[in-house]
Amino acid sequence: MGHPRTRLARRVRTQYVALLGVVGLGALTTVAFGAPASADSSAPRARAARVLDVHDEGKLHYIRSSGEQIIDEGHATGSFPGWVKVRFLYNGEPNVDARFTIYGSRGSISARGTARLSSPTSPSPSFHGSMTITGGSGRYAHIHGRGELYGVYYRRSYALTVQAIGKLPY
Amino acid sequence: MPAMAADARATPTARMSAAFTPERLGAPTTVSFAFRVHDGGGPPAPLAGIQLSYPRGLGLATSGLGVAACTQSELEVSGPAACPPNSHMGTGSALVELRIGPTLVHETVTLTLLAGPSPDGYLHLLVYALGELPVYAAVVLTAVLLPEHLSIVVPPIPSLPEAPYVSLAQMHLTVGGHLTYYETVNGRQVPYHPAGIGVPNSCPHAGFPFAAHFSFLDGARASARTAVACPRHR
Repeated sequence: MGHPRTRLARRVRTQYVALLGVVGLGALTTVAFGAPASADSSAPRARAARVLDVHDEGKLHYIRSSGEQIIDEGHATGSFPGWVKVRFLYNGEPNVDARFTIYGSRGSISARGTARLSSPTSPSPSFHGSMTITGGSGRYAHIHGRGELYGVYYRRSYALTVQAIGKLPY
Repeated sequence: MPAMAADARATPTARMSAAFTPERLGAPTTVSFAFRVHDGGGPPAPLAGIQLSYPRGLGLATSGLGVAACTQSELEVSGPAACPPNSHMGTGSALVELRIGPTLVHETVTLTLLAGPSPDGYLHLLVYALGELPVYAAVVLTAVLLPEHLSIVVPPIPSLPEAPYVSLAQMHLTVGGHLTYYETVNGRQVPYHPAGIGVPNSCPHAGFPFAAHFSFLDGARASARTAVACPRHR
């Protein structure tokens, strides 16, 4: 049984979980609660937060380079489509560094990723690692969070294919 | 079994030079290094290793050189011709010294630089050294490309029975150059020339610094430095 206030909080949380359950991939806006909901007006109020569910892929072409740093650009497709600019750094360490910005219709998102390169003597080694949001603009001025970064580096053409995945509050 | 020279040696000294061809900021280039090791009047002690420092930001890893690997075993058995064309990364030469009786003999050695398998995510290189006269020897040096330096391990190189190991007196190595690689386009193998090593867009005030630290089998050490003067923008 339990206290009525506790039961209400359970019901609200259950509805929230059900809401998340029916939402699939893609950009989504949902309502999260900073504290358990309560019928008591003196309790902490529900805080609206949005989450951007990013699942984007960019096929990027070489723009220019400076030594071990390569700058690529291209279209991103997926839940946050737009134009991507990447600064890709590979200095011989197994981990590569990628700083990128996706420019969408309602703002931009910048992130920095570190990923481990597999088989560096391959013509197109792949990499996998994590990314951390470093900033945003417009609607995403307060975006933050972390995600996963996948990609392929084409050593002949200096092109990149990059995939970014994450659920990012903003 | 070859023996180490037991005579007292002077402290070895080394000199080096480096060059970009072409010399243009922001452009792909070929990088050449040359070393010369002295030890008083006689041959220097056999080398054990070379730590070659290269300028920060130089695009050795992003060069597109070495997009296939050659194994050390196939290199030792069949030489560089057996390695994939896309594993070739450069060429060079060396002058080695060996004592045959009372005579100090010089031998010219050809060097072939290749990409090796990477067991740890770093770029591994192999240097195939072939000397034919007066003593035939084929040796594989191993190296690993680390940020801002190349670490080369030199194995003891035997010469004749009961003679000391071979000493390296000079070495010239070019990374890049006129290499022909192959890529598959529409099911066909199409040749291309890899672009080379990217020079940064900006140059340090004193030029692009290179340094080499030599360690010898007898425990001695020597160092040398040089710089490539700032080239013009492309």
